[in-house]
Amino acid sequence: MRTIDDFTRPLEYISPMDGLLGSIFREWVEKDVMPYRRRFDEDYMDHSLIHPPFKKLLGEYGLQRMIFPEDLGGWGMGRSNFLCVAAYRMFEEIARADSGMAMAFGVVYWPLLFIALEPHENRRLLEEFAPMFCATDEAVFGALCMTEPQGGSDIENVEIVKGNTIQTTAVRDGDEWVINGHKLWPTNTGGLARLMAVVCTTNPGSNDPRDIAVIYVKDDMPGVTQGPAYEKAGMAADRNGDVWYENVRVPLWYRAIGPGDDAKYFGEVMATGNMGIIAWISGTMMNIYERLLDYTSRKRYRGKPLKEDDGVAGLLADFAANIEAIRIVGYQCARMCDRHDLYGPLWDPGLVAKMRAQRYLCMDRFMDVTGKVMNLMDAWGADRDWDVEKHWRDVKMLQMVEGSKQLCQIEVARWFYECETL
Amino acid sequence: MNGLDLFPFPKHRLQKTDLDLAASLQGLVEKQVMDRRLELKEDYEGLLKPSLGKLMAEIGLQKMFWPEKYGGDEHNQPAASYTVAAALEQIGRADVGLAFLAAHSLALQAALALEDNYREEQVAAVAPLFCEGNRPLIVSFVLPTLVEEEGAPEWRGKGFQVKAKGGAGGWTLNGKGVRPTCSGVDAGLFGVACAVEGEDEPAFILVPGDAPGLNRGAEFKKTGLAASRNADLDLAGVQVPAAGCAWRGDAGFFKLLSWYYLGLTAAGVGALLATYEILREWGDNRVIKGRGHIFKDNPLTAALMGEIAKEVVVDRLLAYDLAGMLAEPDAYGGDGSQALFTSALMLAHQVMASAEYTINRTMELMASAGYAKEWQLERYWRDIKTMQCYLGAYELAKHDFARWYYRTNTL
Repeated sequence: MRTIDDFTRPLEYISPMDGLLGSIFREWVEKDVMPYRRRFDEDYMDHSLIHPPFKKLLGEYGLQRMIFPEDLGGWGMGRSNFLCVAAYRMFEEIARADSGMAMAFGVVYWPLLFIALEPHENRRLLEEFAPMFCATDEAVFGALCMTEPQGGSDIENVEIVKGNTIQTTAVRDGDEWVINGHKLWPTNTGGLARLMAVVCTTNPGSNDPRDIAVIYVKDDMPGVTQGPAYEKAGMAADRNGDVWYENVRVPLWYRAIGPGDDAKYFGEVMATGNMGIIAWISGTMMNIYERLLDYTSRKRYRGKPLKEDDGVAGLLADFAANIEAIRIVGYQCARMCDRHDLYGPLWDPGLVAKMRAQRYLCMDRFMDVTGKVMNLMDAWGADRDWDVEKHWRDVKMLQMVEGSKQLCQIEVARWFYECETL
Repeated sequence: MNGLDLFPFPKHRLQKTDLDLAASLQGLVEKQVMDRRLELKEDYEGLLKPSLGKLMAEIGLQKMFWPEKYGGDEHNQPAASYTVAAALEQIGRADVGLAFLAAHSLALQAALALEDNYREEQVAAVAPLFCEGNRPLIVSFVLPTLVEEEGAPEWRGKGFQVKAKGGAGGWTLNGKGVRPTCSGVDAGLFGVACAVEGEDEPAFILVPGDAPGLNRGAEFKKTGLAASRNADLDLAGVQVPAAGCAWRGDAGFFKLLSWYYLGLTAAGVGALLATYEILREWGDNRVIKGRGHIFKDNPLTAALMGEIAKEVVVDRLLAYDLAGMLAEPDAYGGDGSQALFTSALMLAHQVMASAEYTINRTMELMASAGYAKEWQLERYWRDIKTMQCYLGAYELAKHDFARWYYRTNTL
């Protein structure tokens, strides 16, 4: 019997802890997520079903400590050059059950990348935040707050817009920043985030990237308000909401790195975010493959199992071929994020453009073939109990995070064709 | 100018009454459904059920084809296809699920009451169910589909879900875990495609929703089409009088399905018109790439918006082309013919695929707003995908196309 483990992975560069991580995550998914996931959609507001498995994974198993240095109670993976391929495996295993959970899991670390990666590790902030994540067995969530009401993807479009549309302001007052603004859509908000990295401007309307500031804000600071979770087409485990900052005062040293570098290293979160999206896509496709194999073995057409029809088999082959290709692209993408010595720095616009290209190509392939196999399942394709429709709904959102497809296209064209006015 | 006026359709082929009905439905659904859906979302009892009642019973779509002597409107000429298209695109613009349910009712009416098909005994038995009282009669079908049972009798490769046995007193129907096309929870009348024991020719048998032996399962969750609360059925020795058999043989199925596909196609066009309207508002107001850059003025996004408009234009014309083929069946292979059935199936799949493509692209343009329930677009996306699934697997429909166009006799 074929299984998901028969699909190709580039074995020459998987991480040394791949086997251990894989087995831990596979077991957790089977026991703690799969039995409940069909009820997640209705749980988007309360997370009464979604939170317990997170508590186990992040808090009790301690995965939320992963990126912090070992001497601060973490696992030291922020300094590993296997960070992204290891993350790929974890993301894929979670997304097999629920890509919203996988995204929420990934975003726990996302805002910490500014301070946890070499060469811009910020020891003081790591020491400040390590106890929050490492000294508890409760799940702790981080959020990266970028999008604003007036500009959508403009914030992610640093290279061309240069932060001149950012409305969330950080004004220096003595030894503090005073933050005011309104963010939309950050993953892990809706009341969940304990720590937020907030993209601000220190000089509204400025075209100088040195005025883009990434400043950490704790959710219990006076002036921080998180709205309720949005109701969406899917992705219930990924809570999104409004966050308002009203005269929020944080110490000056809560700025991630400093003028110029906050904007520069923003590329890292873009690159890793795109890598994560491919992992969530391929993990999801693993489960669709499992469900499709079951469905087409059971259902009959022209006197035979559906999968035995030559015409149907053509589409099934297309789906498998796309898994093969997307997974290889995804792992390659992760390895490019890890091996700066070979592929250049993670914040480099060229690398970011390549990540965006790989991500939107994989996403387009996913939506195309998943839409087709969902339709192949006839009336059962739309059934919650067959799971494919859930993945179809959930993954669509991944096409829109970190900017629309058109933003991806512009960045790719700008870099590969040396466009100067896009 | 809204989508109804902006996108071309063969207005000259429609009667004034068709255009008046469309205008009236447009006003009704905007007030009854579109203005209230942000508050009521997909609430069946609060929004969808009362809306269905207004459309089917009060406006009278469920009475359209039946003779006046039974309380119907006797709009039962083939050109009623234009009325169906004009009505269902308006309803689909507000809610695809409501149009999907109306498509079932109108298709069955056409199959039974079009002047060429008319059988007095049968119409006399069925028309009162549609015309008496002010309650909507929800119609659902049980069609051949993908089944798990080995050796199940088939129609064009798909298995019958229900078997019928004829006798002097009528028909006895049996089927387990039967998947209806809609409204397993609420339907008042099921049109059931049956394999007939000991005979090759299938039968289409009408089963009242309250027939003894018809058991409904619990509502199951699905992607969209909230107006259709669906559930699987068990038919355990359901007894139906002999007159309950609407027809035997392929021609009746071809006729029913051709009209059904017209309804689904028009519902899909309605979703496309709504998508255009949502995107237009977005494109007029959204600012990108810094201050002063209006979304619709960017060449990349404008190009995609242009392509979306093109899809709406083509799909609307295709829907009305299909209505035209049904209005003049003799010119297109004959009423109840495999030729017309194949064309209708092709056009329905074409429009459904185009609607999926178009709404997907629109969601991408609108990014997170396309995904949030607040902006309504995602609802059309889920509804269209669900309707496409219920239309049937495209991979298998391609065999239907080949059967007719290439005479692939062994498929």
